[in-house]
Amino acid sequence: MSLAAEAFVSQMAAAEPWPENATLYQPLKEDQILLSDSASSFAVQAYLRMCGLPVQVVCRANAEYMSPSGKIPFIHVGNQVVSELGPIVQFSKAKGHSLSDGLDDVQRAEMKAYMELVNNMLLTAELFVQWCDETTVSQITRCRYGKPYSWPLNLILAYQKQWEVRRKMNAIGWGGKTVEQVYEDVSQCCQALSQRLGTQPFFFGKHPTELDALVFGHLFTILTTQLTNTELMDRVKSYSNLLSFCRRIEQTYFDSKDS
Amino acid sequence: MAAAMELRCWGADWGLPSVHTDSLVVLAYSRFSGAKLTVSHIDWTWKTLTANSPELLCGDSVVQEPAQILSFMRKQRFNADYELTARQGADTMAYIALLEEKLRPALLHTFWVDAENYTSLTRPWFASRSPFPLNFIVPSRLASIALSRILLTKGEAPLHRISEIEGKIYSDAKECLNLLSYRLGTANHFFGNSPTSLDAFVFGFVAPLHKASLPSSHLQSHLKQLENLTHFCDNILEVYFSSDHPCPPPPPPPAVQESMDANLQKLTQLVNKESNLIEKMDDNLRSSPQHKPHRLDPKPSLSSANSSSPA
Repeated sequence: MSLAAEAFVSQMAAAEPWPENATLYQPLKEDQILLSDSASSFAVQAYLRMCGLPVQVVCRANAEYMSPSGKIPFIHVGNQVVSELGPIVQFSKAKGHSLSDGLDDVQRAEMKAYMELVNNMLLTAELFVQWCDETTVSQITRCRYGKPYSWPLNLILAYQKQWEVRRKMNAIGWGGKTVEQVYEDVSQCCQALSQRLGTQPFFFGKHPTELDALVFGHLFTILTTQLTNTELMDRVKSYSNLLSFCRRIEQTYFDSKDS
Repeated sequence: MAAAMELRCWGADWGLPSVHTDSLVVLAYSRFSGAKLTVSHIDWTWKTLTANSPELLCGDSVVQEPAQILSFMRKQRFNADYELTARQGADTMAYIALLEEKLRPALLHTFWVDAENYTSLTRPWFASRSPFPLNFIVPSRLASIALSRILLTKGEAPLHRISEIEGKIYSDAKECLNLLSYRLGTANHFFGNSPTSLDAFVFGFVAPLHKASLPSSHLQSHLKQLENLTHFCDNILEVYFSSDHPCPPPPPPPAVQESMDANLQKLTQLVNKESNLIEKMDDNLRSSPQHKPHRLDPKPSLSSANSSSPA
């Protein structure tokens, strides 16, 4: 969104409290949703649950096209539609709910830096694995992405999206990487996160922040999604404090409340 | 130690050893870690078209990309990160990701996409350093690579137009510079008393913006207000690049001056926030669509300052 539109939205957001009927849209859970979209969606759901904001998850086949920025997930609150974790965090802040108010400037800088690390490495790696690795693309991604549509639309959409993602990978220099190198990058990223987390319950002390939600979303999805091989899952599993971190958040925020 | 290492990179100008961000990162790191590199500039050769700058040649192996070159140098036991704890190493990775995501698109835009800067500074420089007939091809090729990178990473499909995302990338970049400034504080380096790879990366990204004489850049004027970052760049240039051999780092500043610097820095940051607000209002006014009534614009930017400023 342009700056003016963002400013306008946050002013309107500040006017009303969070309604009961907020909905979060994502692609179909069983058949269609892919690794990266699922990760982003879980991150947003975790964040909203951590803030204590009620939201209903609705699955729609054309969620990607309904979203204002083309990315999943997006929330429909009152008469506004906001997509992606960053803008959603700002939106909820405008309504008075925030998890990172207690942080000082240096900690906030660190938090933003780590969020960019996750976006830069984990999200890009997920996109790479699901769109640039031939085995995964042909066995899993292509049929899932076009599932709700009939032939030949399903193939056309899948190829178009693959072409788009490949272009992006080439632009940022990931085009020449092999899958092994990408797994190695994921390991390094997880190592950095693991070292930062240490033995604390959350990344910044005792209270969760949006960084915790983002990390949870990505790691939980990697740990629970079936791909062609378990390499990615095994790499993440080798960091025990990250595993227990995910389990803790899942038990605290996802099991005790019904979705 | 290992065989002689040769670095191929773009040439020097504007008081910097190289004008290219990635090359600067590698040069700075080599000075910090004490590695001896023979630097061969690719200016005026046909390599300007074909080479992936920067490139490190060591014996038989060729390494590209700053991150890989740095890890290669570490394996050759030129390690500037030796004294970092594991957590500081993790912080380094995170801050480098922040620089790549938030600052690089705006730097690419300032140097390669902004029409005034491109025609008066960047294109003449790169064209003058390329042999005929490459001087017609190389700058525009680099510019189109830059533009496509910005659009692909930051553009929101299907609106692939640069004007839509200009405002966003510049505000992200300013926020990134502010965050770096908070993190650096009054210290000379990001971790402890000796420079590390994070210092090399920040130097590589920030120094061209600081030193180039850009005709129109509000990002550069924003950077000039962050005095600790400009001192950081000048300090590194003075200590590590003023003569041909590396010098020991300067002693830390006395405590009294530190508290004065801290107050000055707080004032500077308040000024930055003010200028951020004013710039946002400016941008809003310029980019607001025609049918919105003008009186709504000042109010949204005041509340947007409350909800979206970094601190």
